[in-house]
Amino acid sequence: MGIGSRVRQLGLLAGMAASALCLASAAEAQEKHKIFLSMSFIGNDWQAEAANMVKAMVAHPSLADKVDLQVQVAGPNAQRQIQQINAMVQAGAEAIVIFPISPTALNQVVKNACDKGVKVFAYDAEITEPCAYNVHIDQEEAGRVTAEWLVQKLGGKGEIVAITGVPGTSVDDLRTKAAKEVFAKHPDIKIVAEAVGMWSQAVARTELSKILGTRSWDDIDGLWMQVGCFTANSMQLEAGKKTSELLPCAGEGSNGGRIQMLPESTEVEGAASPYAPLGAPRISYASPPYSGALALKLAVAALEGKEVPKKTILPLPLVTNETIKLCEEGTWEEMKAGCNAFKPALVSNPGWFASIFSDQTPEIGLNAALVGQPED
Amino acid sequence: MTDTALPSTASGSTGLRRALAKNRGALIAAAVFALLLFLVDWISAGPLTYFDISFLSSGGATSAIAAIGQTIVILSGGFDLSAGAVISLVNVVLASGMDPMAPASVALWTLAGIGIGACVGAFNGFFIAVLRMQPIVVTLSTMFILQGVTLLVMDKPGGGVSPDLGAFYLGDAIPGWLPMPLVVIGVVLLLWLWLKGTRFGTALYAVGSDADSAAAVGVNVVLTKFLVYVIAGGCYGLAGVFISAQTGSGDPLVGNPLLLSMFAAVVVGGTRLGGGQGGPVGTVFGAYILMMVVNILLVLNVSAYYSTIAEGTILILAVLAGSISHGSVLAQQLRAAKARFAAWRAGMLPSQLDRVDRRLRIAAPVREPKASATRPPFHIRNAETLRYALPAYVCLLVVVVVTQLWLGRAIFNPGYWNSLLVLSSFLAILALGQGTVILTGGLDLSVPWTIGISGIVLAGMVNGSDAALVYALPTVLLMAVAIGFANGVGIAYLGISPIVMTLATNGILQGFALLYSQGTPAGFSSPMLRWFMTGRILGITPVVFFLIAFAAAAVLLLGRTAFGRRVYGIGNGVRAAQLSGIAVEKTLILVYVLSAVCAALVGIMLTGFSGQASLGMGDDYLLPSIAVVVVGGALITGGRGHYLGMLGGVLLLTALQMLLAGTTLPYATRAILYGLVVLGAVMALRERRLH
Repeated sequence: MGIGSRVRQLGLLAGMAASALCLASAAEAQEKHKIFLSMSFIGNDWQAEAANMVKAMVAHPSLADKVDLQVQVAGPNAQRQIQQINAMVQAGAEAIVIFPISPTALNQVVKNACDKGVKVFAYDAEITEPCAYNVHIDQEEAGRVTAEWLVQKLGGKGEIVAITGVPGTSVDDLRTKAAKEVFAKHPDIKIVAEAVGMWSQAVARTELSKILGTRSWDDIDGLWMQVGCFTANSMQLEAGKKTSELLPCAGEGSNGGRIQMLPESTEVEGAASPYAPLGAPRISYASPPYSGALALKLAVAALEGKEVPKKTILPLPLVTNETIKLCEEGTWEEMKAGCNAFKPALVSNPGWFASIFSDQTPEIGLNAALVGQPED
Repeated sequence: MTDTALPSTASGSTGLRRALAKNRGALIAAAVFALLLFLVDWISAGPLTYFDISFLSSGGATSAIAAIGQTIVILSGGFDLSAGAVISLVNVVLASGMDPMAPASVALWTLAGIGIGACVGAFNGFFIAVLRMQPIVVTLSTMFILQGVTLLVMDKPGGGVSPDLGAFYLGDAIPGWLPMPLVVIGVVLLLWLWLKGTRFGTALYAVGSDADSAAAVGVNVVLTKFLVYVIAGGCYGLAGVFISAQTGSGDPLVGNPLLLSMFAAVVVGGTRLGGGQGGPVGTVFGAYILMMVVNILLVLNVSAYYSTIAEGTILILAVLAGSISHGSVLAQQLRAAKARFAAWRAGMLPSQLDRVDRRLRIAAPVREPKASATRPPFHIRNAETLRYALPAYVCLLVVVVVTQLWLGRAIFNPGYWNSLLVLSSFLAILALGQGTVILTGGLDLSVPWTIGISGIVLAGMVNGSDAALVYALPTVLLMAVAIGFANGVGIAYLGISPIVMTLATNGILQGFALLYSQGTPAGFSSPMLRWFMTGRILGITPVVFFLIAFAAAAVLLLGRTAFGRRVYGIGNGVRAAQLSGIAVEKTLILVYVLSAVCAALVGIMLTGFSGQASLGMGDDYLLPSIAVVVVGGALITGGRGHYLGMLGGVLLLTALQMLLAGTTLPYATRAILYGLVVLGAVMALRERRLH
């Protein structure tokens, strides 16, 4: 919380006042594309990071004088997002970028927007209405690949604990079903306990504690978690395990988890256990938070008349102990060269999502995800 | 002629005034709505067209229709948490049952939706009216059960409803003049107005005002309450049909987030929680006011981080606007302050008078030798407390035995008991705060983000240093005192309903937490705090010792102090408490401060437990914090409950979750089981007829 953030807040306030008072600046806006962003719930790390990257993308010189972006939050309420999209269409949106709360509930309103010539882009999750553009990873692949890694790591035999995401969402359903199909092919792999993790490290810890009330770490051979490997490793250390005894864990792409994957001897600035190199056996996958920024870039391209495919499937970011590499500064160039974890001195929040690299978005690097500033 | 005309006009005008006074809530809501509509029209680029009105009307219709049902329940003195779950259930049933391509009968599927809702309502009504169980627990259990059933019907978004449904509900009744959603709401309101005029309508208001008096004058309370839930269920069902038409597809989570805003709509619309006053017409305006906020934020381009703050502020202002009148709490407080000032000037305040003993002189009572009157045995002295607190512990025993039989390794495994107590510690502490608020007849919905902001601020300040705890802990707790103080002042002095005030505070705190953390909370817990939550002394986690001390202190606070007696006094009747000299306002403020401090403690503990703080870390604790209080035997309308009972509720629910987490049952089945156990646990608590 330095002066910078305070200046930014003042700027936001001034922006509010300005937009309320002088709506006459329409002449200027005419040259710019009017684009709206409808986010879901803003209160988690992933959403905040995605929002920062969108902000950075808009601030980049290549887009700054082309785009007039307004960000709105719908919360977890699909009904509100419907209303919000309607209001955006009424307010003269040329394109709307959406983090869809529901893949299906928005279909009617999205179709309505398309009919009025508005380009609708969904990021991370999907909108099933055919006129919408979608930018996301293949969730089934994520479930399948992580499960296959775990099976291979365990030699096809063992008792595992599964921590899933938010029940009733397509993303959770696709990942979990794909993973279970893999486990079903190996009769010696047994899921002994399963809990709902809500994609949150805090919930993962509570659920794991519940499971461990009636089970000990020695009874478990491996973990398949949508989010929570960082926490699971911390808990094993607390229970007195040595770092060499950590269980294989297939899970999320948080920076804390990535740092834990580094060999124990690695020198890392700002590291403190459990946010430190442990040599933990892991596969780390992620739904990358740059998808919103990319969706925005594609939306501008579509408005400029370029051909944009309706479906952009992002490459699944996968990192294993073999491919883990620490970044020095976290510039886009550096990440392009293959680094994928950031020093705790730079990223103090271990729950922060580290999969921010895309070869399609040279505009944004570490600073974009952290504070919303584009690359030079 | 003139002689007779005069009184008649006079009575006419008082009749008009009475009608105005009776419908003040609804009228003010309508005025606020008109103001907001005008505001949107004024600040939007173009004038509002029929098209915009049509959009707005369909946007708010789902919550308006559902909130009408909720209003009827609240008028009867009840509370219905299952509303959102019914909407989801109807949505998935329609989306999986209808053929999205083929034409379908709108009337038939509408009836099906209303029917499902009414069946759920009958289920609720049976337990609440016939078995006389507390509405909040019954409907909370129903909510869990329905969420499970919904996921069994459809485990992920998908399916589709026939376009006919959408064409009908989103179309125009009179093209260019009257959108269909308004007609649907109009028809529901007309049905309500008809119902209100019948004997049932009178009975409804009578039961809501005072169930005992209603029963005494021959109203069939059981039947009235039962019908209330059936009718309300039908409304939620219709809302489910409407949202299906609007979205054209199914999503098992679509209805859940509508629940809290539904209560806000009811209260903004001028209906009093606790029953007997208000009506659905105001609620409809309330629902649309909340919906309009979305548009206003968009036109003003309020930044995402500020949106929850703006919403919370608008909510408070809307309610305050509705309470500006001679009879409002605020006006009463101002008059009282004026009277106190006058007394001070006249030198007549009690504190200004000489401290002379003015008691009547009565001869000292002859002290009877005490030995003759033996104290009744323990179980008779505490019969009532035991009756309400015991069921939770009995159920806990059953759950533990089942865990032992099913998973092995429970009763004789010290690790099991340690985990149980550590995991219970969060809810046990929240239970004191939420429980005390509930004992005064209130509800604290600001718990989630009080937890969140406390954890985030603490982690940011501590940043891994034990030394920093020395100033970080007091800072966070002081912040919590300020939060509780704000809640208390709003409720006690401004007369804002606890639900609205704390809901608004929750939104405002969420905004502050986002601004403070800039979206990603920095910092992490210090080693000592982590040790406190996860370390071991003789195989026991340190927090367990703290929990035992806390529980003892909580029992003493509520049972043995003047503060505790005042809390029970207020819960049994505010008016009586006031007349017997309890400083109601000060006590209420203290109660909300206590609740906020408890929530802050939980935020601190969660930060230590997880090692870091995250946004939204408190979200999963709101409904459980209410559930444990009620499962532990407290009365949601206040005045009855014991902390040990609440503690039993906490242990029961935590043990149950540990049992379910140790299995591989699908989530849907777990939700259903969880709901059934909660329902079963409180079955023993049901009100037996005393006469």
